[in-house]
Amino acid sequence: MEEERSVNDAILKVEKAHTFIGQHHILQGISFESKADAVTVLIGRNGAGKSTALRTVIGLLPPSEGKIFFKGEEIQKKKPYEIARMGIGFVPENMGIFAGLTVEENMRVAMLVEDEATTQRLERALDMFADLRKFWKGKAGNLSGGQKQMLAIARAIVNDTSLLLIDEPSKGLAPIIVDAVIEAINQIKDHSVVVLVEQNFYMASSVGDYFYIMDDGMVVHGGIMEELVHDEGLKSKYLGISKTGD
Amino acid sequence: MAEATPVQIFHMEEKRRQYRSGGFFLKVGLLALFVLVPFLFPSFKTVDLAMQIIIFATLVASFDILLGYTGILSFGHGMFFGIGAYCVAFLVGKYGTPSYANLALGFVIAALVASVLALVISFLSLRVKAIFFAMITLALAELAIVLATKLSGFTGGEDGISLNMPGVLAVSFNAGNFLGLEITGRILTYYFILLACLGLFLAMLRFTHSPLGRVLQAIRDNVERAEALGYKTFVFQAISITFGCVVAALVGGLYGMWVGYVNPESCLGVLSIMLAILLMCIIGGMGTLYGGIVGAAFFMITETFLPDLQHLAKDFFPSAVLLHNVLERWHLVLGVLFILVVIFFPKGIIGSVREFIDRRK
Repeated sequence: MEEERSVNDAILKVEKAHTFIGQHHILQGISFESKADAVTVLIGRNGAGKSTALRTVIGLLPPSEGKIFFKGEEIQKKKPYEIARMGIGFVPENMGIFAGLTVEENMRVAMLVEDEATTQRLERALDMFADLRKFWKGKAGNLSGGQKQMLAIARAIVNDTSLLLIDEPSKGLAPIIVDAVIEAINQIKDHSVVVLVEQNFYMASSVGDYFYIMDDGMVVHGGIMEELVHDEGLKSKYLGISKTGD
Repeated sequence: MAEATPVQIFHMEEKRRQYRSGGFFLKVGLLALFVLVPFLFPSFKTVDLAMQIIIFATLVASFDILLGYTGILSFGHGMFFGIGAYCVAFLVGKYGTPSYANLALGFVIAALVASVLALVISFLSLRVKAIFFAMITLALAELAIVLATKLSGFTGGEDGISLNMPGVLAVSFNAGNFLGLEITGRILTYYFILLACLGLFLAMLRFTHSPLGRVLQAIRDNVERAEALGYKTFVFQAISITFGCVVAALVGGLYGMWVGYVNPESCLGVLSIMLAILLMCIIGGMGTLYGGIVGAAFFMITETFLPDLQHLAKDFFPSAVLLHNVLERWHLVLGVLFILVVIFFPKGIIGSVREFIDRRK
């Protein structure tokens, strides 16, 4: 019973969060949670506030109202570096690569400690993304879009993160690279909980266990991904996907 | 013993390769050249030029830690250089007798004053936006010149302060002849400063190649991302600024030792010192440290020998009036050269050469 509850408990819980960017009220009281051992996908059209939701969780855009709990602890007033050190990894939409550093330096900067466990995680990440080993001493700014995305994900999983926030990993990538990213996320979910922001429904449905649909800064629907896959009405209404046109 | 991982093996091989590379031999050759300058070219002008290159290369490298490695523009670097020069000048000039203890104390005080001032400026300005750091340092640099000029009772005003070196570093010292070179106090001062600058340069290399240096470069590339990786970026920036400014102050003290005289214009001038540092850094290449050596050499050599070109032009092309007029205004030629370097080496000379080599790999 105890074991069952821990699996179902939310590792991340966002409660009625409001976030402003300048004078613009972007998140208008969103609530969602991410369950342990699962991938939760925030899905929605452009400008729905999905990326802002992730940036709010990591502390880059602190909420003006509402609460955010990570493993039961309130984090909405903490600084990004404090939140990151609690075990939350973040892969931003633009990948946030340190272009002037080499692939190796990017990875080493991400390693908050260089112990045996981190070294093993580094090797695991490099096994997952073989290209990174190949361009180990090359400038990260010279990598292709897909390789940059791989580096961004590898950097986020090199630490002992229990929650990984990934913002639109498929954006601008060729379909074959998207498949590689899907495979990587499926491997990552064995080690940490993932919250994914995604517009690409193919990717979202391939990796997601739960979903939340966002529209105009609000969460308008949530549930099990399997149900959304078969709900043509919901997909058509909020995601602009029709049975013939997706 | 645990078996080395592929990454560790790669790292070990890289280290072994490092000491066999052309770059390594180039650096050793350059150092040997500076060591041999007094023997090979014993004229005052050449030794002075080599010393100015060494001093400014180290100063520009310390500025590069701020601009190239941390992405912070400071207009106060010349001020820290001047503070160092004045601290040493006070101790072995105006307020103290020339002794080794006073000389060492001058450097200690210079480092302390620079670190406290750099920390205060960091705390006042960095929490807001990086641009405020540039504005505050510019204002402080101007203030420092005004104070150094107006508080003439304390600083010597525009007349400045003369330094008297102790013992073997004194101008009057002469230890006789060695391999055809007169071993004077000035020659020993040259080697003392060369050794000190080498030590400071190695310390800066260690700093930038340490995990801390990597974090600074990450902050330069993407502050937000570095913070989201778990780094309190403000603290790292403050450490970088303080380190760079302390090195600048120590170099300032060495400069005072070499020229034997400090005044507001030569040690604190925003235009005379700060602009030169900025130009040298851009010419050599930001974020490279070695760019400081190239930038300082380019700037110092052109500034020293360009005025001589007008005499050469008059000797070899006596009827080329236009050429004489242009070379008389040699600052104009220097400006054109600077523009050409920026156009053909957009990342500075070292930065562009490294990029070229990377592309060929």
